[in-house]
Amino acid sequence: MTTAPAETAFHIQEPLWKIRLRIAWKGLKQSWALFTENKIGLVGLGIIVFFGLMALAHPILMHTVWEPNIYDPFIGNDPTILQHPSPPSARHLLGTDPVGRDVLSQLMYSTQSEFVLGLLAAIVTVTIATSVGAISAYFGGALDAFFMRLADLINILPFIALLVVLTAFFDFGMIELALLIGILSGFGGTTIIFKAQALTIKVKPYIEAAKVAGGSDLHIIFRHIVPNLMPLAFLNMMFTVTGAIFSEAALSFFGLLNLRMSWGIMINTTQAAGYLLGGWKYWYLIVPPGLAITLLCSAFYLVGRALDEVVNPRLRRR
Amino acid sequence: MLKYIANRLLQIVVTLFVFFALTYFILDAQPGDITLQYVNNPKFTKEQREALRRRLGLDKPAYVRFFQWMGNTLRGDLGESYQYRKPVMDVLLERAPRTIFLFLTATLIEFFVGYWLGRVLAWQRGTGLEYGITVVGAFFYTVFTPWFALMMIYLFGFTLKWFPIGKFLDVTLWRAAPKGLTANQIFINLLLTMTLLAVALVVVYYLTRRMNPYRASLFRWSALIGGAAIVVGYWAASPVAKYAWDILYHMALPIIVLTLINFSGTMLLTRTTMLETLREDYIMAARAKGLPERVVRDKHAARNAVLPVFTSLIISLPFILGGGIITETVFSWEGLGLTLLTASTTGDIPLVMGSFLFIGTLALLAHLVADIAYAFLDPRIRYA
Amino acid sequence: MAEKPLLSVRNLTMIYKTRKGPVSAIDDVSFDLKRGESLGLVGESGCGKTSVAMALLRLLPDNAQITGGQILLDGMDLTTLSEEEMQNVRWKRISMVFQAAMNALDPVYKVGDQIIEAIERHERDIDPAEARKRVEALFHLVGIDPKMADRYPHEFSGGMRQRAIIAMALACNPDLIIADEPTTALDVIVQDQVLRELRQVQKQMGMSMIYISHDIAVIAEVAERIAIMYAGRLCELADAVEIFKRPRHPYTVALMSAFPSIVGEKRPLVALGGEPPDLLFPPPGCRFHPRCPRALDICKQQQPPFEDIGGGHYLACWNPAPVAEVQS
Ligand SMILES: Nc1ncnc2c1ncn2[C@@H]1O[C@H](COP(=O)(O)OP(=O)(O)OP(=O)(O)O)[C@@H](O)[C@H]1O
Ligand SMILES: [Mg+2]
Repeated sequence: MTTAPAETAFHIQEPLWKIRLRIAWKGLKQSWALFTENKIGLVGLGIIVFFGLMALAHPILMHTVWEPNIYDPFIGNDPTILQHPSPPSARHLLGTDPVGRDVLSQLMYSTQSEFVLGLLAAIVTVTIATSVGAISAYFGGALDAFFMRLADLINILPFIALLVVLTAFFDFGMIELALLIGILSGFGGTTIIFKAQALTIKVKPYIEAAKVAGGSDLHIIFRHIVPNLMPLAFLNMMFTVTGAIFSEAALSFFGLLNLRMSWGIMINTTQAAGYLLGGWKYWYLIVPPGLAITLLCSAFYLVGRALDEVVNPRLRRR
Repeated sequence: MLKYIANRLLQIVVTLFVFFALTYFILDAQPGDITLQYVNNPKFTKEQREALRRRLGLDKPAYVRFFQWMGNTLRGDLGESYQYRKPVMDVLLERAPRTIFLFLTATLIEFFVGYWLGRVLAWQRGTGLEYGITVVGAFFYTVFTPWFALMMIYLFGFTLKWFPIGKFLDVTLWRAAPKGLTANQIFINLLLTMTLLAVALVVVYYLTRRMNPYRASLFRWSALIGGAAIVVGYWAASPVAKYAWDILYHMALPIIVLTLINFSGTMLLTRTTMLETLREDYIMAARAKGLPERVVRDKHAARNAVLPVFTSLIISLPFILGGGIITETVFSWEGLGLTLLTASTTGDIPLVMGSFLFIGTLALLAHLVADIAYAFLDPRIRYA
Repeated sequence: MAEKPLLSVRNLTMIYKTRKGPVSAIDDVSFDLKRGESLGLVGESGCGKTSVAMALLRLLPDNAQITGGQILLDGMDLTTLSEEEMQNVRWKRISMVFQAAMNALDPVYKVGDQIIEAIERHERDIDPAEARKRVEALFHLVGIDPKMADRYPHEFSGGMRQRAIIAMALACNPDLIIADEPTTALDVIVQDQVLRELRQVQKQMGMSMIYISHDIAVIAEVAERIAIMYAGRLCELADAVEIFKRPRHPYTVALMSAFPSIVGEKRPLVALGGEPPDLLFPPPGCRFHPRCPRALDICKQQQPPFEDIGGGHYLACWNPAPVAEVQS
């Protein structure tokens, strides 16, 4: 028996990262197939894509067909119209607001910041929750107890009331708000979910194998446990985005945030100018932003639910 | 069981302390203080400002003030509201019952509606009905609350004129009210009767829990209807019926809105946990015993699925109370949430702290009560 | 044919519809079971034993479909009954001890109440006190303190839960009791006790029993007749002694040789190469042929008939092992 054939048989011709990539790609394709089975999830994804296109279209429109001093979301004003707010017309598809700015332009402009806010909050949440969850599950003991008590504590706080108090007394912009929401939900309820999941991963044989092979704690946590939390993380991001967009809109509605423009501010402007009591007559001031907030929040939520069925086999039909 | 409750109590006390401290230091960390308002006021000299600062105790270090404040708070003294020129405690004691009554009612209705629908939904897996309800549910779950509430006010208040708009009572009616009758008395009495009814229903539930589901649900429904009839009869016969009705009438739309906003969370979660529970072996065993589908669903699957749903309700209680700020604002319902918001925007710091404390404490208490109720639902905790 | 069988399964065929296609979990399975008889059903993991049990009770998941055959209980075809009629058969006529019996008790109700629930379901106007007495008697029978009836499942140990489940299966005095690997989760000593009690009670009460296991050593203790299952089909069925003394199917021979100690005889150990087949794409002809040391050309094309080769010994094989080879 010669050793040569055995060697060629085990010889790895592709670099490791390529194999990893291929496996990841295959997994992705399978998950996508499962995801597309759920029509509701696809609807959600469609809505997100639609808003994404709106966000991208705004700067393009501003540079091409929209005259900047008429359509600017902050300082635009249409001099050809005498009375503002004005109902939808060919020039202003969704009318103008009490100060004479184009509602559609405001709506599209705000979409960008909603995405930034939602994604930033989600990334912060998930980064904190995965690391803390994995560390708590892996080490257990006092560290675990501390983080879990902290999570309980944050869970018991009345979230919106806290945000109201904080934003009323401190200057909060979009980024600060995203960070705050990310930190609160990252150390709060989300951690508990991630820790529970990490605990089930911790007892898997390959973790034991990695330990026996002499992997350091950090190596095991970040190379073996955290990657296995990724599907859950992805799923959770969707729900956090919903929460973040909602919180921003509510706080803006109360006029507590230091922002120039957002969907919530659009409603706030309408209210401050007294047009809320006008009933249906001024629908174009309140329906578009309200519906946009609702739709985008639902879309992320629906995608999250559909992902849940992909990630959690117990919910699948077959 | 006792150990479990003691544990929870201890946890609540610690949390409450941390919460108090947090509240205090967040507000203490904000730049400037109340006296800065008067900086540009020519009638106020610098000396007068200093005197005011001293009177308000703003010249001492933070931790001293914290413990002073803490001591006062425990004695029930929350300071004086800048805005109302009355003790904060008085303002809040007047407003708390409105919030409690509104949210207790709405949460109870929401939970039962959501649980009931979720149960049906799980059994309709894969049908058009399921997709329909899921989409509608997701809409209500994520709808932008202030906007939705406004739309409801437009629809039912302005257009259809079914319900009154804003406030929690009709001022003209109450001007003619007998001397000494306040809305608060009515709120508190309503709260009491409702609690009694709830206790009675829980007792009936407990007594029928082991019956076959058909008989049990017969008993439960008759208890519910009978109990409700007694309560309605009692109030109708009371001399203040007119005023109680006025309050309930004003409360209807907020309750409908709160229910619509919150039920879908419970419903969607019930569906999910039901689907998970249906895969359990004891469900298979229940079927194998020859039990009819409805008994399997209601007595076994739903009864187990309620545990995680209830847990999630416990977790969301603080959130519901906090989110009440939005509902109260839109409906101009002068409860704790609206008080917190207006105090925050006008810089009435004692009132902010007071109402924040009230909301937080309420949330904690609700949490505690729900936790204990949970223990009764799950024998694994009850007999641990 | 002196006595009519209690249960007669005729050409039962069942598939699971899956995303990738139909899984042929039961294919053309036939067997009879007399009153008071105990039948062992043996086969590798995944060969369809649980599926057979579930098909008998018609407790199959939504994606399962019985595509052919009959299940005759005293001449009544269970496959054609309505759901309500089937509910009356369950537990009253056929009861079951589940494979995952550890989790077969609902955690939020007292164990005794769960048994009473079954009794009250089938004997509508039974006096509660009498039902209660029966539960205590059953607990006594399976060796649990009757006081435990008022406890919750989480307060039971694994072995006690197993016994409680057996007590529950006996509660309505069924004609047939199906035990699906009831002891796999227990340690060996408890396993043995539970097994013996089950067998004893079954004999005492004159019930029939189908005992399912992948472990032929266990089956040998409890079964009078043994059916060998492979990849959704029965390949051999005979009296226990006959199967051990004169196995004919090459798969049975391989199984026996894996447990030489049972009958205490020395036999050549036949190694079984290969994997059990994927039931999504079962091999044509005899499903065992890819692994069979005695496979012929016909095995690859034609399914062998499942026929009596004399004395109630059923066999499905084109090229059975000679009797002498094993007996030596
Ligand atoms: N719900 C289902 N959907 C699709 N395929 C299934 C389903 N349940 C079982 N199967 C498949 O049917 C075959 C038979 O399964 P079954 O559970 O009857 O095997 P078993 O002999 O009881 O195995 P074990 O000894 O492991 O319990 C297996 O190949 C299994 O993968
Ligand atoms: Mg099995």
